[in-house]
Amino acid sequence: MFIEIDGAKCMGHGRCYAVSPDLLSDDDEGFVAERGTSWEVPADLLDQAHEATDACPEGAIVVTATAPADA
Amino acid sequence: MTETTHRGCPVTHTDYTQTTPIYEHYALLNADREKERFLFNDSTERGFFMLQRYEDVQAGFQQHQNWTTAVRSALRPGIGEPLLPQDLNGEEHLKLRKILNQFFAPAAVRRLEPLATQRCIELIEELKPKGSCDFVAEFAIRYPTDLFLALLGLPVSDGEQFLEWSEELFSAMLAGEPERAAAAKKNIIDYFETALEDRRANPGDPETDMVTRLLEARIDDEPLSREQIHTILLTLMLAGLDTTRSALGYIYTHLATHDEHRQEIVDDPDLIGKAVEEFLRLYPLVFQAGREVQSDQEFEGLQLKKGDVMWIGIGQANRDPRKFDDPDEFIIDRPGANQHLAFGGGPHRCLGMHLARLELKVVLEQWHERIPEYRIAEGAELTERGGQLTLSTLPLEWEV
Ligand code: HEM
Ligand code: SF4
Repeated sequence: MFIEIDGAKCMGHGRCYAVSPDLLSDDDEGFVAERGTSWEVPADLLDQAHEATDACPEGAIVVTATAPADA
Repeated sequence: MTETTHRGCPVTHTDYTQTTPIYEHYALLNADREKERFLFNDSTERGFFMLQRYEDVQAGFQQHQNWTTAVRSALRPGIGEPLLPQDLNGEEHLKLRKILNQFFAPAAVRRLEPLATQRCIELIEELKPKGSCDFVAEFAIRYPTDLFLALLGLPVSDGEQFLEWSEELFSAMLAGEPERAAAAKKNIIDYFETALEDRRANPGDPETDMVTRLLEARIDDEPLSREQIHTILLTLMLAGLDTTRSALGYIYTHLATHDEHRQEIVDDPDLIGKAVEEFLRLYPLVFQAGREVQSDQEFEGLQLKKGDVMWIGIGQANRDPRKFDDPDEFIIDRPGANQHLAFGGGPHRCLGMHLARLELKVVLEQWHERIPEYRIAEGAELTERGGQLTLSTLPLEWEV
């Protein structure tokens, strides 16, 4: 499974890295450091990936079965 | 009053500016949301289109290219103090946010935690032997005021004096008395100016000292003007103190009247982080954000024209049953970190959200460790201010 974070939608609410500390981290402005990227989620962190998706109030995070086409 | 539709949109007349018994605004917001997906509200001179469902509210915050903060509150378009960064939009807004964000990011806010905790304990220990207090006036406004000063590197011992001025400014602004407001504002600006003077002479580390950073910051090679810096500081005060007081008022009313929830966090303080999010969802005090449409446009079937005022219904979204099960219930472990919109969304999302979260968490932890049981004084009548919710008083009592 792949996680993708939309860099234009992320506004720095900081909910995702609060619930998924092993998968995501914060930059010094409070945005998720991995915004604008996508990568394959290790199986043991899949729960955290879904939690991050459910936590973001901007709908900036998606988890998909295949790698995003333009990434 | 006779119109039943406005450009095809059903009309409502609900007045959201009145002082009412506590919780009445949430009932009004729920009722409007369930009437129609979109409403045109004609209770103000300009009127406004109301977005009410969670999905529409979220989408509304993402319309920032066309809907700007030329109107900040749908209820009071066109009047009020200049505010920064609120009044900026687009690139200009991003540039200023970039300067400010780093002082309000979780990492920066964590640096404040020891001081926030210490100050909180001091204030609680001062009140505890009394066995009662007006929680709003004696705690909920004092605490954020002291932390605001700390954030600016000013002594918290100035809190009492500063509070007098800021309360005077709030009340004069709400009463629409510009002369009284101007006098209060002058005291505050003069006070800020002493801090700025000091930092001009003795600069701190711009990475950790906000005042120094504001003095050294450049936007397109230009420093911020003295006036801009004053406006930014005044904005932080206006945006951060009343809101935190208000959030604390609703949270403590809830806990004083729901023993089972209070017991839960007394028994397991680790639940406090989740409880804070759920309180923010359930009791949004900034229940709407205003925007002004900049060019004719269709939005989800609404025919919008340049100059229209939009109501982005935070209060309706946070209790939308399409998004949250049992939306009027406090459910401490709602799945996930719950995607409430109490702090808004899009580029103008609350700058102070992480500070507010820290303040609320620290208060709940420290208070319940020291005063785990309390109640609302018998006969107290609780009322909430319209426009932007806050409780006027909250008399609490406990055994000593
Ligand atoms: C529980 C407490 C708080 C709540 C519910 C709250 C709510 C909000 C909301 C809904 C907005 C967005 C308004 C819009 O989109 O038009 C906002 C913006 C803002 N808030 Fe807060 N706020 C709180 C605490 C604070 C604190 C403690 C500070 C600062 C110390 C602060 C500073 C600001 C600023 C500067 C903005 C404007 C951001 C911009 O336009 O870029 N807020 N707040
Ligand atoms: S929760 Fe969403 S908006 Fe907030 S930092 Fe994470 S991705 Fe960005």
